[in-house]
Amino acid sequence: MIYRESGQFKKTYEADQAILPLRTDQIFMVGVLLVAFLVIPMVASNYVMNALLLPFLIYALAAIGLNLLVGYCGQISLGTGGFMAVGAFAAWNLATRTELPMPVIFLLAGLITAGTGVLFGLPALRIKGFYLAVTTLAAQFFLIWLLQRPWFNNYSPTGVISAPTVDMFGWTVDSVTDRYYLALIILVIMALIAKNIVRSSTGRKWMAIRDMDVAAEIIGIRPMATKLKAFAVSSFFIGIAGVLWGFLYLGQLEAEAFNIYVSFDVLFMIIIGGLGSILGSIIGAAFVVLVPIFLNVVPSAIGLPLGTAMISYVEIFIFGVLIIFFLIVEPHGIARLWSIVKQKLRLWPFPY
Amino acid sequence: MAANAADVTSRARSSEVLLKVEDVELRFGGVRALRGVSFEVRRGEIFSIIGPNGAGKSSMLNCINGFYHPTSGTITYKGQPRKAMRPYVTASQGVARTFQNIALFKGMSTLDNIMTGRHLKTKATLLENAFWFGRAKREEMEHRKFCEEIIDFLNLQHVRKTAVGTLPYGLQKRVELGRALAAEPELLLLDEPMAGMNLEEKQDMARFILDVNDEFGMTICLIEHDMGVVMDLSDSIVVLDHGEMIGQGTPEEVSNDPKVIEAYLGVQEEGEA
Repeated sequence: MIYRESGQFKKTYEADQAILPLRTDQIFMVGVLLVAFLVIPMVASNYVMNALLLPFLIYALAAIGLNLLVGYCGQISLGTGGFMAVGAFAAWNLATRTELPMPVIFLLAGLITAGTGVLFGLPALRIKGFYLAVTTLAAQFFLIWLLQRPWFNNYSPTGVISAPTVDMFGWTVDSVTDRYYLALIILVIMALIAKNIVRSSTGRKWMAIRDMDVAAEIIGIRPMATKLKAFAVSSFFIGIAGVLWGFLYLGQLEAEAFNIYVSFDVLFMIIIGGLGSILGSIIGAAFVVLVPIFLNVVPSAIGLPLGTAMISYVEIFIFGVLIIFFLIVEPHGIARLWSIVKQKLRLWPFPY
Repeated sequence: MAANAADVTSRARSSEVLLKVEDVELRFGGVRALRGVSFEVRRGEIFSIIGPNGAGKSSMLNCINGFYHPTSGTITYKGQPRKAMRPYVTASQGVARTFQNIALFKGMSTLDNIMTGRHLKTKATLLENAFWFGRAKREEMEHRKFCEEIIDFLNLQHVRKTAVGTLPYGLQKRVELGRALAAEPELLLLDEPMAGMNLEEKQDMARFILDVNDEFGMTICLIEHDMGVVMDLSDSIVVLDHGEMIGQGTPEEVSNDPKVIEAYLGVQEEGEA
């Protein structure tokens, strides 16, 4: 009886359509946010924040972006890394070549990525599924190649450029705690935006296209505009994630850092976390970031230390098995398992 | 619910022609799916297309709907001759339909499916939706109210938040009707609304169709194989066979037409009702 919804009556449609209609969920969410904003910065070491929490937050943002496209609109993309690179390089070039304030640069970088996303989303109007995946794969390689042209890194001799200091409304984001806070704030805001989009008419249009595009067209949904909008919004999210990845996490930029493996990682996150779920994107990101750490710590703790090479192999095994498992058994991922647990907890321990 | 044409009830039909099909021919390579089909659907009536399998009934509906474009002939809707248009343009002119093989959005709940049917009535932009301000929230509540009325009308309250993929067949058919109704269409195309249903479900569906026609004044064009239902519901009927029209008229006229009996209805034994 941990998870009760009995006795909670909704008197307005507004209350019923809320993001978290259940009291239990609301309390839980407030708790999570309190921990994230107050407790973690106090207890977490610099190492944990830098090596664990920052990549988690940024990956979570990218995963939300990709989930909007793949999980909600049903258009498969393997170009995430490329789009993140576009965001990062757009922001870097805007920062070096113009005097614009940092928030504007973030926004513009997102918009430039959105434009790129629309451009590479155009084939989606003609092709679906596997073929679209291959097209976006081409986008990935093309974008990385393009961004390695000297103009994009301002003719830097090494090809590696360092990120500028991020200054947000007079707040100089410098220490690792600052960077953690900035990433967290952006993630919370953008997750909320994503949630709003998917519960609104826009989200329903995307899901309609995903579930049955013929029927969607019959009720007046324009497939072209809807798919391109999904590409734009998704790429905007991924672009912002790219900026954060370059500016806050890596601290330096190099197109190769956004290679195909980044794309795969983000895709794994949404498959494992749950297609068509914002929460799932975040859980999936946490999972993919945590597994390597887990493999580092646990075997040596039980007296079976694994070599570095072995760890990376085992990691690939685990992801492979999990992806097969989730695709076959539970396409809605961990997020679905979580909602099943909640379902059970409603009545636990009395099944009737 | 808004009865958008309250003056038109099923018992007092206007003579206005809503849809006029003239000499329509549809060819797929060498196959002539439709040959010289002409009929008129008047505003406010229940119009049925019947005929044996492969007669071209669904093809006819697909032509009206914009999925197929007739090879020759014209379709006039609301007095305007229609050019080759995409289905979403047809939808914006007030044509909604259901499918023979249910075409619902299986991953979405009943409510969301019906809400999606309201798509053409929503004006909120992406930005408004993203920040949940302005029209986004207001429209959402208005449409929710409207959709709840449809849910009440079709008795779907208990499955409001269930994913439609998990619903039984009969209910899915009803949700699909609900989604079409949500668009408040002027012309509702139903492709075999009762296929595969048991008697009770058929009765429910027949009642819904009559109510839709009566209360909301929607013009209905349906394809159905259950002759009892067709004869009871329809105001006029057109019979197709091998893409050709072999009969047309009121239910009485059609059921007494020797050509129709030969091609489709079959000879009735004396004394059989």
